[in-house]
Amino acid sequence: QEAGEECSDGEIVVKFSHVTNADRHPKGIAASLLAERVNDEMDGTMCVQVFPNSTLYNDDQVLEAMLQGDVQLAAPSLSKFETFTKQFRLFDLPFMFKNIDAVDAFQNSEAGAEMKDSMQRRGLQGLEFWHNGMKQFSANVPLETPEDAAGLKFRVQPSDVLVAQMEALDASPQPMAFSEVYGALQTGVVDGQENTWSNIYGQKFFEVQDGVTETNHGVLDYLVVASVDWLDSLDQDVRDQFTTILSEVTQTRNSESAAVNQEAKQAIIDAGGTVRTLSPEQRQQWVDAMKPVWSEFESDVGAENIEAAQDINASS
Amino acid sequence: MDVVLLFAMVIGLLLIGVPIAVSLGLSSIIFLLVFSDTSLASIAQSFYQGMAGHYTLLAIPFFILASSFMSTGGVARRIIRFSIALVGHLPGGLAIAGVVACMMFAALSGSSPATVVAIGSIVIAGMRQVGYSRDFAAGVICNAGTLGILIPPSIVMVVYASATDVSVGRMFLAGVIPGLLAGLMLMSAIYIIAVKRDLPRGEWLGWGEVWASARDAGWGLFLVIIILGGIYGGIFTPTEAAAVAAVYAFVIACFVYRDMGPLKHEPESVAAPYVQPSGERSIGAAEAPSQLGNNYTLMQKPWALVTAFVHRDVRDTLFEAAKLTVTLMFIIANALILKHVLTDEQIPQEIAGAMLNAGFGAVMFLVMVNVILLIGGQFMEPSGLIVIVAPLVFPIAIELGVDPIHLGIIMVVNMEIGMITPPVGLNLFVTSGVAGMPMMKVVRAALPFLCVLLVFLVLVTYVPWLSTFLPTLFMGPELITN
Amino acid sequence: MSGSSRSGLGRAVNAFEETAIAVILGLMTLVTFANVVLRYGFNETLIWGLEVTLILFAWLVIFGVSYCVKITAHLGVDALINVVPSRPRRMLAVLSGLICCAYAFLMLKGAWDYWAPFAALQPTEGRWFPLGFAEGVRDRAFYVTDQVPMLGIFRWLEPTINYGESYEKLPRVIPYAILPVGAALLLFRFVQATVDVVRGRRESLIVSHEAEDAVADAARANREE
Ligand code: NA
Ligand code: NA
Repeated sequence: QEAGEECSDGEIVVKFSHVTNADRHPKGIAASLLAERVNDEMDGTMCVQVFPNSTLYNDDQVLEAMLQGDVQLAAPSLSKFETFTKQFRLFDLPFMFKNIDAVDAFQNSEAGAEMKDSMQRRGLQGLEFWHNGMKQFSANVPLETPEDAAGLKFRVQPSDVLVAQMEALDASPQPMAFSEVYGALQTGVVDGQENTWSNIYGQKFFEVQDGVTETNHGVLDYLVVASVDWLDSLDQDVRDQFTTILSEVTQTRNSESAAVNQEAKQAIIDAGGTVRTLSPEQRQQWVDAMKPVWSEFESDVGAENIEAAQDINASS
Repeated sequence: MDVVLLFAMVIGLLLIGVPIAVSLGLSSIIFLLVFSDTSLASIAQSFYQGMAGHYTLLAIPFFILASSFMSTGGVARRIIRFSIALVGHLPGGLAIAGVVACMMFAALSGSSPATVVAIGSIVIAGMRQVGYSRDFAAGVICNAGTLGILIPPSIVMVVYASATDVSVGRMFLAGVIPGLLAGLMLMSAIYIIAVKRDLPRGEWLGWGEVWASARDAGWGLFLVIIILGGIYGGIFTPTEAAAVAAVYAFVIACFVYRDMGPLKHEPESVAAPYVQPSGERSIGAAEAPSQLGNNYTLMQKPWALVTAFVHRDVRDTLFEAAKLTVTLMFIIANALILKHVLTDEQIPQEIAGAMLNAGFGAVMFLVMVNVILLIGGQFMEPSGLIVIVAPLVFPIAIELGVDPIHLGIIMVVNMEIGMITPPVGLNLFVTSGVAGMPMMKVVRAALPFLCVLLVFLVLVTYVPWLSTFLPTLFMGPELITN
Repeated sequence: MSGSSRSGLGRAVNAFEETAIAVILGLMTLVTFANVVLRYGFNETLIWGLEVTLILFAWLVIFGVSYCVKITAHLGVDALINVVPSRPRRMLAVLSGLICCAYAFLMLKGAWDYWAPFAALQPTEGRWFPLGFAEGVRDRAFYVTDQVPMLGIFRWLEPTINYGESYEKLPRVIPYAILPVGAALLLFRFVQATVDVVRGRRESLIVSHEAEDAVADAARANREE
């Protein structure tokens, strides 16, 4: 019903285009919640219209449209920002963060704030990080050691880091539209994929895979962005009220993300899906196999950012 | 309401002879300029992304190309020979064989008019020579040709899948049973008429001819195995299957059938390359092999392996397929612009809301969809119509519990019927051209069989099982993740 | 059916357009096919294959539309214009030609406005009619494709538009360049077609269905029999 919001005259219309469903996906829920609160608390001033399910733009087109001024809010996954600033490759690097709390701590640190501001010269302002969660591997054969993944075809998002990560496992990375993945896994065009528990459950990937291995090897998060020009066009008090609501919504939803993923994981088990956990030795094998990717991208993400992330891992 | 003005403008422009694509695009641009703040640049972005952002639609040029190689390669003639060998001896045999041939060609081609041209230009003339009336022959082919978009592969299904994010593989599987059923219903109708009117029948040519013709047509029909087997066997995505099919069809046309390319023997005078009906036998057993004998073998001209890629026939086939792709995609891309503008203004939600508030049930809803499509089909190219209508009705269908695959098949069958109903029907035009008959005569000729298809539409609408059984069997229950 | 090419130049342009269109489709097919072969034969993949094919698909259509205007291949509805007398029919054809020109003109402005920032150029001012060039619009020359490798022949773009920063991937300015080019060609062909209608050298801008050429061939063959 947020999607059908009729804005009244004089309200600042905020089009928020995203690619997931509006009521079950963590991002969709957060977007709907944001729209609900803004439309309620800023009635007469601002009006958020949510366009879910890629009905208006996909993740690739939405940033172009934002720079053009045709859409005001978006929350693409972090790898979409690599063309703007290579620092964002940090989040794709395997085993960079211990868990979602470490991710959260990094994003809320000075380094995280700098990243949000790092695209200003390109015209984008990062507002808030939204969690989906930690990524797991699934495949049509049991994955316990990195050797099990060798020779398999994995669907990955089109990102250099993720391609390098799969090549480090001697697996073959396959770019593929998200909507194609279920069919491709089912028929065997690709053997496996990496995703968060909530995506694996929401897209029913576990139904067409041998099992899911709890690797927590990467992070799938989103960055809520707006264009610098649009933000500058807002009155200071309007902008403040809006960013306050956005930040409250972010806190509410992000604090629930761990629970959401736990529920999804349990739902997979309840539905008869196989979930494999790794022993510390097995996990170390995965780390040893994939961590060499870091050095390849160190100059892109900045050694100081890697250090900051590792400090957070160690202290939490 | 604004949206009424928009559609009125589209129809007005269409009627005065503006190309379909421009009618859709210009109306969308004007609507955007008047009612929204969105930039003109977004129109250009939508246009570019109509192709570059739709991986699914990429199957269309490849299926068109495969079909072009198959038409040029003379597959139609071999399929017809095989069909006659199978059913030519039944009452109304040649007519029934025409339906069988249309069904087989439909399994190679994604479009209905292509099916009518390929099969009709040979069979209609053949039927007249053995004593069928021209009306009867035209009526049969005009109707059977519509199966081109119901039997997979199908361009219209690819467009539906792309517009609604359902799987192309599922849509293709869903078309199999309805396609066979529609073919059977048409053949039964012919059989009954043939027995009543004592229409001519051919001779049974023996299992030897069945075997020989099957082997000859087999190279072409193997394409079906590549497409369906490849998709469901997990070898390729549907788009890749289409590309592989195109390459396969190129190899068959150039190196096996040798009806085109460097190994084709060029006769002194080249008149009407693949339409030579001079009596029933010529469309039957004798002709295809005799022509083959004149062609070169790869042993004689081994360099053909290289020259085939730059041969004039190959270039021309690529060009013809590309031209058709361009004209279809120009319409589809502009329909996508219209869809984008409508979404930007939240029109689909408004319409969906209005329809749901009106309290329609699933049945009333499907009847309405049928009516909208039958009317829309008078003005619009089927793929463009699907792009516009699907996003409007899809959310409502989900809300009312209609299976998305079932809805897709209903839409395809509607498109089929639209093709053979006046005033504007793609297959009517094509048949009228191929058979050399005035439009109104074709309309009358098609009428008895149109009734069969209308009964079929009711069946498909009320028996979802026909559409959903195979996809569920092979690919599990439909899941709606959006 | 070929365009009305009398001069040698006209023929050369025709041949170029037809060959380019055929080659683009051929490349799309080969790249996709090659990726299937690589996947099964060598467990490899051309990571840029899909994106390049999609770019070629856009190029095929956006470049091809103007040629299809030239050879009158675009589909339309001729039910009404076929039943009106010839004078009003001609008027309607001129009108629809002008409407097509308006469409191409607006598309050209949109295409320029979209593409220009990627080329570090300025979009135009004005909602629908270009009123000169804008000033100070932030450029998007940094914006690269997802996976397409940078080609050496485009290195000159780095100092020209990207402040000397090197491109790791092909910048989007290259694939998107087809938009202003295609829209300009489309406008040119529509103007040409409209002039032809006015001069009585052409009846309309549409064909009624996609198989008209094939049907004409078949009908001719049936007559000869
Ligand atoms: Na078909
Ligand atoms: Na019709």
